[in-house]
Amino acid sequence: MKEKLEDIKIKGLKKIENIKNISELEDVRKELTGKKSELSQVLKSMSSLSNEDKKSIGMFTTEIKNLFIDKLHGKEEEIISSMSVLDGPIDLTLPGHKVNEGALHPITQMKYDLNDAFLSLGFDLYSEDDISSEKYAFDNLNFAKDHPARESMDTYWIEGTEAKSGAERLCLRPHLTGGSVRYLMRHGAPARFVYPGGAYRNETTDARHERAFVQYEALIVDKDISFSSGMVMIQTILEKVFGRKINTRMREGFFPFTEPGYEIDMECLVCGGKGCKVCNHNGWIEVMPGGVIHPNVLKSAGLNPEEWTGFYINIGLDRLVMMRYGVDDVRLFHSADLRFLKQFK
Amino acid sequence: MRVSLRLIKKYVELPKDLTDQQIAADLTLRTVEVENVENTALKYHDIVVGKILEIKKHPNADRLKICITDIGTDNPVQIVCGGTNLYENELVVVSKPGAYVVWHGEGEPVKVKETKMRGEASYGMICAASEVYLNDFFPALEETEIVDLKGINCNPGDNIADVIDMNDTVLEIDNKSLSNRPDLWGHYGIARELSAIYNVPLKELPNYDIDKDLPKYNVEIKEPDKCNRYVGVEIDGIYEKESPIWMKALLSKTGQRPINAIVDITNYVMMVVGQPLHAFDRTHVNGEKIIVRNAFENEELLLLDNNKIQLTKDDLVICDENDAMALAGIRGGKKDSILPNTTGIVLEVANFTASTIRKTGKRFAEKTESSIRYEKGIDTQRVDQGLNLALQLIKEIFPDSKIIKYSDTYKHETKQNKIKVSEEFLNKRLGKVISRDKINQILTSLGYKLSYNNGEYDIVVPSWRSTGDVVIKDDVMGDIARILSFDSFDAKPISIKIEHAIKQNDVLLDRKIREYLSYRCGFYEIYTYPWIDEKYIKIAKIDMDLSLKLATPPAPELAYLRSSLIPGMLEAICKNLRYYDEFKLFEVKQVYKKGDYRPSSTDEILPIQENYLTGCIVGKNAQNIFFEAKGVLENMARYCHMENIKLEQLQKPNWADVNAYLNVTINNKIIGSLGLLSYQVMNESKIKRTNVAMFEINMDKLIPYNSRTNKYEKLPELPLVEKDLSVLVDENIKWINIEESIKSLVKEIEFVDEYKGNQIPEGKKSITLKIRMINEGTTMTSEQINKKMNSILKVLEKKCGAILREE
Repeated sequence: MKEKLEDIKIKGLKKIENIKNISELEDVRKELTGKKSELSQVLKSMSSLSNEDKKSIGMFTTEIKNLFIDKLHGKEEEIISSMSVLDGPIDLTLPGHKVNEGALHPITQMKYDLNDAFLSLGFDLYSEDDISSEKYAFDNLNFAKDHPARESMDTYWIEGTEAKSGAERLCLRPHLTGGSVRYLMRHGAPARFVYPGGAYRNETTDARHERAFVQYEALIVDKDISFSSGMVMIQTILEKVFGRKINTRMREGFFPFTEPGYEIDMECLVCGGKGCKVCNHNGWIEVMPGGVIHPNVLKSAGLNPEEWTGFYINIGLDRLVMMRYGVDDVRLFHSADLRFLKQFK
Repeated sequence: MRVSLRLIKKYVELPKDLTDQQIAADLTLRTVEVENVENTALKYHDIVVGKILEIKKHPNADRLKICITDIGTDNPVQIVCGGTNLYENELVVVSKPGAYVVWHGEGEPVKVKETKMRGEASYGMICAASEVYLNDFFPALEETEIVDLKGINCNPGDNIADVIDMNDTVLEIDNKSLSNRPDLWGHYGIARELSAIYNVPLKELPNYDIDKDLPKYNVEIKEPDKCNRYVGVEIDGIYEKESPIWMKALLSKTGQRPINAIVDITNYVMMVVGQPLHAFDRTHVNGEKIIVRNAFENEELLLLDNNKIQLTKDDLVICDENDAMALAGIRGGKKDSILPNTTGIVLEVANFTASTIRKTGKRFAEKTESSIRYEKGIDTQRVDQGLNLALQLIKEIFPDSKIIKYSDTYKHETKQNKIKVSEEFLNKRLGKVISRDKINQILTSLGYKLSYNNGEYDIVVPSWRSTGDVVIKDDVMGDIARILSFDSFDAKPISIKIEHAIKQNDVLLDRKIREYLSYRCGFYEIYTYPWIDEKYIKIAKIDMDLSLKLATPPAPELAYLRSSLIPGMLEAICKNLRYYDEFKLFEVKQVYKKGDYRPSSTDEILPIQENYLTGCIVGKNAQNIFFEAKGVLENMARYCHMENIKLEQLQKPNWADVNAYLNVTINNKIIGSLGLLSYQVMNESKIKRTNVAMFEINMDKLIPYNSRTNKYEKLPELPLVEKDLSVLVDENIKWINIEESIKSLVKEIEFVDEYKGNQIPEGKKSITLKIRMINEGTTMTSEQINKKMNSILKVLEKKCGAILREE
């Protein structure tokens, strides 16, 4: 009897060892531990044995059964853990599915980066309309009566108004600065606000010159601020845009609506300030004109220049985006060309 | 403007250890932008003086000679040369191997090599003027002529740059940065700035004493508002000759072409002090009288090249008793030229009003060195500087000349501006305290006169800054700040006062919509120009009656400004179809229509300007892209947090398909539309084998929510029962009829699919919908569910003629 049980045990364990899948496992489980299993047969045929033998054989049979259950359980774990949810082989080198494509224009992206930075500094966002008048685009901003920028070679005048003057002579705004007076007239001082937007100038276009370009202008008007405060703001902004500290310098510049005016250059990021084609070999790129708001401009906004002062900065977004990505032709921005736009996700 | 540092250093002694680059950088930071620093000797390297010791025949060529030439080395060298004016002991210009020359004066410079010419060795070249950048100095009469340095003080081996005074550094200054500084259009002005920057003294310009008892030269100014001052000097003993090398060199460095001694003197003086001068051959001035008057209508001025220009009565001319001789302050005519038979001149040193010169110059679209300076506004006192320097140079170059007549007609003198500036103002605006000594030094060296009393400076602005440049105290403050250098001021942090949270809902909505379209719906944002190709406006059938036009458009077909974003989008679609056949684009921009809009003041009437949004989906299946676009609009309100918009068919846009269009409405007003591009528009714009769904919305009419508004709903305690249902209906039955008819019976109803095809009878369609139901209080039993479904079917049958579709 004992030999028979040993035989059942060895054969049984071998069967378990050879199981390949779950259905085989179920079959083997039935065969080894079911009601019709050899072990059950053995237990049934035990009546002829002595009590002592009954006891020892019974114990041995149970031992074997438990061993089978244990091993089957282990086998089941082994099989399940190696099972795939897939039916067949899979080519993992196939490309993943596309995500929803689409993107903001790279200049819009830059604009939003700047908006976030300026909003954190407590600035309002403002925008003037595209079409303005000579009064707001030039007169209010202390442009001399015969300043060349007022000519049709420079500014796009609206047909039918080009021979008029002041508030009746309309144009596509040649710069954003006119909006500063509109804002100050409405909201008064103190004020700090940015007003991004498009500006338009009658120019011959090439890789570096456009007729339509996008600017970002900021103005602070307050009491008792000195012009050097502008420097901190500029550095903060550039750091935000480029993600690290950018070297800048401030130099003499002239604009009718500022006194004093300055130009802010940043180190050329293409050559790291060593000098290259992009920066005309001097290591610096002109990015922002700025300056202290001219008293005459404050007066046009109805503010007393003895009481108030402030400063502008104006960022050429086209130029800044070109720097950010190394874009070499400014005309691409208005091309609506998807081959270009798809690069800025 | 090109500035010679050699000449600058004649007027100001700069610190010894200063490099030319440093000077350029300091000027850029404080005064004007230096665009380039050029070493003018560079192109003359390895070009030296040679002395021909012996000339031999070339054995193999009749036209060539072998010249044994001393070039300052231990042994003379042999050079083969084809020049026609060779003679022994001639001093010539030799390009040694390594020098760069321009062959026959044409093309790019080429490197000279030691070579053999027709079998004879040649160590470099004996050069003609045009080959080695010497045209200005030694103009050749014939092409085959080489430079003969006879009469020039030099020795074999001398570098030619030293011989002709071209060993110099030229600063190229951006003219734009000079536009508001009439005082800087001459070397002396730049020297003055450097004297202030480095705190070193500025040397005085020469003085010339004119005998005040000389007979008067007859000058009549008929337009005193246009001509402020006119000095006329008649000088005897002036004839046509070349100017000295140093003067030619300065003119060459500053971009002027040497002509003859007297013209060169006038140009040289202009380069030094910025005052234009003019010389007339005295025999050309009929009646020995100069009249400054307006031209007559249609009067003509004869130019040197025998062309004539037509004048108007606005133009100021310099005349003799008969004719116009010159366009005042701009250019001379034929009558002013100095000729071989000239024996004396009338020298003009005058001041003309800036606006006069600008107006006339603009009409002739001509800028001359003279007009550029006058139109910036020169002070009348500058006439004295120009006159003194010119007379001194004339005496030097024409020692036998004699002034025989002189007059100074002085109508208006430039008034020096007077400005009071308080110390408190300076301290506050500069952001730091600058000592009185420093302020005194800076302003004095710039030519200001100042005195200090009781916390206030009384400042007299120099005449050369009083023609519009320095007017108010801020201008003075600016001068102090820039000379100290803007970078020398510590950047002061700006304090932020939190007064209110910045939240501008309209601005935020604009951004939310753009981000929704690009990042959620997969559109690319485009920028187009505000001027639109007329072709696309016409194809899109956009009404042009209310459109604005540009007076001087970039191109004739681009005169119209957009009154809709559709034509620009149409053009963008056509462009992109060359490379892609499926894509989605959008644009947010202003459109303009004639109207009455006064955003800032009542005197300013602007056209109506509104922010519009347009978008397109390009793809093959017309119905799919239409419903995709519809979905984009339907979900916009929910995702962008604004009041809901409705889509209903009310009024067909001109560009849209006869059937597939909807209008976007808000509070029952149409604010935009959505549609498939019509067959006709696609045909005319040559869009083939694809379809386009487009939408356009007036963004200004959208109403942003102040905050997110939807309410939280409690999660249902019991499970929703979900059932799909497919019914057959007549193809004219609309979804909205189905939805409306059973809406009240269920919790949610959702469209799944519409199908027409094989298994569906003609004139019918199959609609699949999903229904969600719930019982109040208890879970639905299958009996209840079946009962509900039956009643739904009954309603559908009654209201829409629907029959359950057997699977």
